[in-house]
Amino acid sequence: MLKMLAPFCALALATSAYAQDLDSKSVADLLPLAKKEAKVTVYAFTSRIGRVEEAFEAAYPGIDMVAFDMSSTEQIARIKSEAAAGVAGADVIYISDAPVVLTELASQNLVTRYVPPRMESLVPEQFKSPLLAQRLSTKVLMYNEEAYPDGSPVKNLWDLTKPEWKGRVIMVDPLQRGDYLDLMTEIVLKSDDMAKAYEAAFGKPIALGEGIDNAGEQFITDLFANDLVLVGSTDDVNKAIGAKGQKNPPIGFTSYSDRRDNEDEGWALQVANDIEPSNGIVFPAFLALNATAANPAAARLAIDFMMGDDSNTGGDGFKPFYVAGDWPTRTDLAQHPDAIPLSDFKSWQIDAAETAKIRANVADFVLALQ
Amino acid sequence: MTVPLRRLRPSLARYGLTAAMALILVVLVAAPLATILIQTLQSGGGAWADVLASRLSQNLFWRPATNTMIIGLAVAGGCVLLGGFLAWLVVMTDVPGRPLIAFMATLPFMIPSFATALAWGSVFRNGRVGGAGGLLEGLGFSVPDWLSWGMVPTIVVLIAHYYALAFTVIAAALSTVNGDLVEAAQMTGASRKRILFGIVLPVVTPAVIAGGSLAFAGAVSNFAAPALLGLPVRMQTLSTRLFGMIEIGQTERGYVLAILLIAISAIFLGIGNRILNSRRSFATISGKGARPRRFTLGTMRLPLALLAWTVCILTTLLPILLLLAASLAPSSLSLFSDWTLHYWIGAADPAFARGQPGIFHHPQLISALTTTLMLGAGVVFAANALGLLIAVALTRQKVPVLSNAVSQLSFLPMLLPGIAFAAAYIALYGAPIGPLPALYGTKLLLGLALTAAMLPFAVQTGRATVAQISGDIDEAARMTGAGFFHRLWAITLPLAARGLAAGLLISFVNVIGDLAITVLLYTPTSPLLAVLSYSYASDGFHQFANAVTLVILVISMLATCAATLLRGRRRQTFA
Amino acid sequence: MISLNQVSKSFAGTRVVDDVSFSVPEGAFLVLLGPSGCGKSTMLRMLAGLEQPTGGQIRFGDMLVADGGSGFALPPARRDAGLVFQSYALWPHMTVAGNIDWPLKVARLPAEERRARIAEAMEMLGITQLAQRYPGEISGGQQQRVALARMIAPRPKVMLFDEPLSNLDATLRVEMRFELLKVHAATGATSVYVTHDQVEAMTMASHVAVMNHGRIEQFDAPERLLAEPSSAFVAGFVGTPAANLIPIADGKWLGTIADAALPDIAGHAMVRAETIELADEAGPRTVSVTLAEVVPMAGRRLVTGVANGVRITAITDSTDRLPSNLRFRLPPAAAAIFDSEGKRIS
Repeated sequence: MLKMLAPFCALALATSAYAQDLDSKSVADLLPLAKKEAKVTVYAFTSRIGRVEEAFEAAYPGIDMVAFDMSSTEQIARIKSEAAAGVAGADVIYISDAPVVLTELASQNLVTRYVPPRMESLVPEQFKSPLLAQRLSTKVLMYNEEAYPDGSPVKNLWDLTKPEWKGRVIMVDPLQRGDYLDLMTEIVLKSDDMAKAYEAAFGKPIALGEGIDNAGEQFITDLFANDLVLVGSTDDVNKAIGAKGQKNPPIGFTSYSDRRDNEDEGWALQVANDIEPSNGIVFPAFLALNATAANPAAARLAIDFMMGDDSNTGGDGFKPFYVAGDWPTRTDLAQHPDAIPLSDFKSWQIDAAETAKIRANVADFVLALQ
Repeated sequence: MTVPLRRLRPSLARYGLTAAMALILVVLVAAPLATILIQTLQSGGGAWADVLASRLSQNLFWRPATNTMIIGLAVAGGCVLLGGFLAWLVVMTDVPGRPLIAFMATLPFMIPSFATALAWGSVFRNGRVGGAGGLLEGLGFSVPDWLSWGMVPTIVVLIAHYYALAFTVIAAALSTVNGDLVEAAQMTGASRKRILFGIVLPVVTPAVIAGGSLAFAGAVSNFAAPALLGLPVRMQTLSTRLFGMIEIGQTERGYVLAILLIAISAIFLGIGNRILNSRRSFATISGKGARPRRFTLGTMRLPLALLAWTVCILTTLLPILLLLAASLAPSSLSLFSDWTLHYWIGAADPAFARGQPGIFHHPQLISALTTTLMLGAGVVFAANALGLLIAVALTRQKVPVLSNAVSQLSFLPMLLPGIAFAAAYIALYGAPIGPLPALYGTKLLLGLALTAAMLPFAVQTGRATVAQISGDIDEAARMTGAGFFHRLWAITLPLAARGLAAGLLISFVNVIGDLAITVLLYTPTSPLLAVLSYSYASDGFHQFANAVTLVILVISMLATCAATLLRGRRRQTFA
Repeated sequence: MISLNQVSKSFAGTRVVDDVSFSVPEGAFLVLLGPSGCGKSTMLRMLAGLEQPTGGQIRFGDMLVADGGSGFALPPARRDAGLVFQSYALWPHMTVAGNIDWPLKVARLPAEERRARIAEAMEMLGITQLAQRYPGEISGGQQQRVALARMIAPRPKVMLFDEPLSNLDATLRVEMRFELLKVHAATGATSVYVTHDQVEAMTMASHVAVMNHGRIEQFDAPERLLAEPSSAFVAGFVGTPAANLIPIADGKWLGTIADAALPDIAGHAMVRAETIELADEAGPRTVSVTLAEVVPMAGRRLVTGVANGVRITAITDSTDRLPSNLRFRLPPAAAAIFDSEGKRIS
């Protein structure tokens, strides 16, 4: 048996040696190899990949990028199934949903880390490991700037549990969407901050209810008890909060970058940045390799391309992602003129590993509430 | 009905068909399900304990299950009443505009239930989720939460969506009710009402039960309506819970919920099956006299027509109109202003719609269209051929245990939320089995899964029709010495053609509109229209998504038109 | 009892029943006989009240039940008539007893009376033991009996039958003919019976109306139809075997065999099978035929041969092997002569 396995082991070692070799290659060195492969397949959680595809094929004629747009949940299901079936559907994985990706894909080596050599010095360490983050997105508190021209009507997350916001806080059911569950989880993880914020809001130390272990859980409990309105998608949230002409619009958690649709959709979405202790979460979108990528060189080239070129907006490869409300992980790109810089943005950056640890428990906690 | 065999035949001929069907169903349905069942048990069954007996089970299972049952039963009842009423009007009476009512009454099922929910919202929504209120609030009425959100609107919207199923099945059965049966009753001097309740309704009971079952099964696994209308008041059903569990990565709990959903529905539908299978499976078609007799409605003609038209318009035109408006209006908040064709035919313009060109510029639209049509046709053919054979096997061959297993298995896919079904397929057939290659990512796998998913429709409609073909006719053919498949082809198939057309229609429409299964199984090289629509929607490009949905709807309507014409011609050859 | 006066029925401009008049006395057993599409079923449906005549009157006794001219039509239930359908039209969701009971219930008979009538009807048809079965569970012959029982239980004055035996196999058919006659005798009701099977007509009818193309070809007693057919159509339709209709022209059988006894016209001569002999050799009025079939019947044999494309049937007592060069000798005189229109001229 061992003898039979030996060649496979050798092959595996050889492949991984080859992979390590590729990892250190520059774009110029990768290009001829990639041209020989002539193709690269990408799973992406956004339709903006279509524009990346065009730009990539223009930049590297002869290499065909085949891009598929599917949600992170679907990608995870697909990647697991493909691994079980022994086929490599994609070379490059562009995916959100960090806690699941790290615990169920990366830890099983179904997807692997690759940081283009060019990026080593440009991306801070926290965004290079365990997987390379390409950009950061948000689920943060947003309000209607038409109804509240003087800024956010809420200064403290705990305000949302007060009677004046009863039935007027809206978000996607955290048991329907992973990123909202991540938000709930982060609130629990940051219980100390939440406890301090409670004192700031109510002028007295927090008293935990029965069966509640920390301030974060207390907040979630109180929020649900305050007739929190749940919907099925962020668009429903945006519409509810942002629609113009409302006298008494609700407030809620959604993506900062959706503000870019204000004009098209007739919304008045604005982010509430100055919130105690935080206005929500910032989370990464990963670029990773399929462990058994059929086109390893082209895959690396594609990741390199999607990290952007040397211009100060990242060029054509990054252009679809250079929008207000999303931030590149690269430190050298120029600030988007319409957005608050990340450094001034008062959000928690999720720690995917920590989140993954208690995420299921938080889900159970939320489940017990509704 | 037991068909006495005139000649002693080897038991293979007696049970062979049932056995073959059982085998196919095991491959298509039972094995994938067993796979997910095993997955939930592998980790020690913790997920089962969580769902059934933990501090979470109240919210995770019991309350959603109760809601699901209430919705399922109410929708089944409502659909049978509404669909049966329209079917009676169209098939049995002289109500004006019958062909158009018949056509329109099959449409709601093709309209995505989110569009119907949207239509409800546009009239009844209140300010609970902010935004603008509906029509009623615009007129100054205050709409209570129970009418805007939760159980009541979910039930109404699902009835408006699924009554087409009951209509199609009941109308098909009604039109095969032998004219003689009604005339025999007329000879006795019985009143119209008495004939309706004493003769016609009881005779179409199998179809009523089939229609109710379809509506029930559809309602309990529907996701869009409870998600849109139930969530804001935190009403959860098993399907929303199930979807959520899979979405947040708690797959095992999701599978457990899926299995429980199947179990609950199986109990209810088992009762229906019992009634269908009992000795009162009615033989009514004979070779002659199948001309339906029309009641004259007299003074009720116009009021009933008006009622029928109102129902049709509210459940078809209104959602379609809203869908169309939503594919033209830049802002979903004011659907009837600033209309533009950009989302259909516009070229890419960086200043508009985030630079997204209209759907007809989408590079994959045409290939998605052809793939959708070909796959749809193939699946429909396969599912209905199987469905008919299963229906014949169930009606003609009563094999203890095996018949019941076939009957139950053929209905199971109906209860399975598509995403769980797709996951089960991947789990089983994604990897190579012995000498068989892995099917993952092939059109074959998608085709198989869709075929299995369409079986309930094909079998139910097939059964309702085949159950009405009298054994005498088959016996007559048998006496000529015609072999089983020859008889099936020459006798049963032509007689069952109308019912089958209904089955074909339903499953074709279902296939091309299906998303839940397709989205996990589609082959990366050739997306389907539904996938296209979904990926637009998931990026917030609603206008584009709605435009693609309308393309699907147009194809569905063309299919319906064709089927209606086809059936019209058949009727003449029968009379 | 039943009388029709110039009754017509058109569907979308096509006359399917054309100017039909006849009457039958109470207790008669009238058979409407004809090929499919001759209008006999429509006739029956007009009697039942399921169709309205577009012209003429129908009377049951003194009671006018339908008048095509004025559009008057008595509803089916008030004609005191019962109908047995070709398909039996048993209500599949009711038991045998339930099927028989339903019309009585609709007629609001008291429960006790209903019970008695159901028992009586089932008794008469010998189906008492099937009372609690469903139609789908019993055989075709039994279904037929149930349909009969259902029809007679309300004790109609007129019993209508629409090809009731056509779905049964041969043995059952003979048995049911007997049952029908028994029922007819027991109830004394006037019966109208539609069939395309002349054997049924000959064995059951007191009166036969032979119909063709919506018209009555001949209205007569069964034996009269055989003895004196009024048209070539009737001659060719009735009798077992039906009489031979041999084409004649210019005084020649089949246009080739001259016979002084034949009139000098083009038409058909009716020749009964029993008057044709097998001839050993050629002679006057012999015709060479190709053997088509031999049917043994009651100890004798029906021999059918084909000459010039015309089938000719003879009856013989002989049990010998038939010669290969078969010859028929025609009788000296034809039983009847029909002109080219089929009208009888002698």
